[in-house]
Amino acid sequence: MKSFGYVAAMDAKHAIELLAEHGAAAKILAGGTDLLVELKDTQRPPGIVVDISRARDLKDIVLTDEGLRIGALATHGEIMRSALIRDLCPALIEAAHSIGAVQTRNLGTIGGNLMTCVPSMDSGPALIALEAQVTVAGADGQRRMPLVDLFVGPRKTSLTPGQLLVEIVIPKPNLGKPAAFQKFGLRKGQALALVNAAAAFWIDDGKDAFKAPCIALGAVAPTVIRAPQAEAYLAGRAITPEAMAEAGRIAATEAKPISDFRASADYRRDLIAVLVKRCLAAAYARATAKTKERVS
Amino acid sequence: MTDVTITVNGSVRSASVPPETTLLKLLRDVFQLTGTKLGCDVGDCGACTVLVDGMAVNACLMLAAQADGRQVLTIEGLAMKDRLHPLQKVFEESGALQCGFCGPGMLLSAKALLDDNPDPSSHDIRDALAGNLCRCTGYSKIVEAVQDAARAMRDPRTEDTRQLEMHGHD
Repeated sequence: MKSFGYVAAMDAKHAIELLAEHGAAAKILAGGTDLLVELKDTQRPPGIVVDISRARDLKDIVLTDEGLRIGALATHGEIMRSALIRDLCPALIEAAHSIGAVQTRNLGTIGGNLMTCVPSMDSGPALIALEAQVTVAGADGQRRMPLVDLFVGPRKTSLTPGQLLVEIVIPKPNLGKPAAFQKFGLRKGQALALVNAAAAFWIDDGKDAFKAPCIALGAVAPTVIRAPQAEAYLAGRAITPEAMAEAGRIAATEAKPISDFRASADYRRDLIAVLVKRCLAAAYARATAKTKERVS
Repeated sequence: MTDVTITVNGSVRSASVPPETTLLKLLRDVFQLTGTKLGCDVGDCGACTVLVDGMAVNACLMLAAQADGRQVLTIEGLAMKDRLHPLQKVFEESGALQCGFCGPGMLLSAKALLDDNPDPSSHDIRDALAGNLCRCTGYSKIVEAVQDAARAMRDPRTEDTRQLEMHGHD
């Protein structure tokens, strides 16, 4: 590795001060599972690495009046072990479990996964299907925005030097919304997604129809995307396997997958149709299992 | 330079290293603990797996500075004095390792699993070891060995477990 400066932030406030001080020369180190690989490869290292991995106040997973707050530094392993997440948005556990292997999940953080901003990130789709918001902080204060607005393009976010992703918030109305995440990789373990997807919807009481459906797709466009036409098709429609399959076919037309050494665009489109259908079915199975649990 | 003090296998050790030094480099090149292997150096192979505060991590993907103040267990610290850890004993007796290069990482990932889940299914074991590649591809014997070791550690009558209880471990 080429040499670089190093400074450790003790908490979020300290991190923001350090980022303000060093500006564009600073590179944030969270879990390091992406950054260290990048630093080993680069001929142009950053001026200084600001290590935020000790900022414990960025790690909390807590339920508040506005929803479930997941600190940006929560590791994928911590997300998998969180009772709150298991109870309120288990699709995030499916997503976390699909990332890397145990070693990666023990270091890698949800905020790091989002900020690296590769199209195949596994944290994105489930969060977007649950309409997550993010809090961004800088020297001039904090602001809240939809997670979708964080993503600009491959490896590019809307944050500017000096800004820090503080937390992800699943809005309270979406807690408990039936949702599922699924992924196709070339192997089960340690594989990047060829396509990943998540779906969330409520079941319209009495009518057994889709209500407020949200579908998100990864690895098939420059950023994680929603599939608005498939969502519009489902809204208000009776929940049937045929409707799920048709939503998958529509979603496949909304993506812009590329062909690369992992898979062709055509193959990725086929995978989208299958994954969306499976996510919808898994979310529905989860909802009905929960209803039975309540009745018994 | 960055000052780093870590507890390695129960002993407190300090060093002053350039910031870009990984935990792996610190262990191997500074502390001469070469049981932890350098494989891919990008977090894919798991040969450098060590336990930091009981959690399996790739030492190649952690800066030494990030380990400051923490407990690190390497393969050199798995056995107790002259007594092998049950995992080591079973791996040795059953020939679960072939060339052995993946062994240190494999054993530490298995230890982290068994500390957390004393009765893992074969699926649990495969999931826990998914980040440890065996270039001899001898996975079946490795999975069986972890199951055998788990059984031995759960059975209070085995000598190894008694030893563990008497001396404590890490």
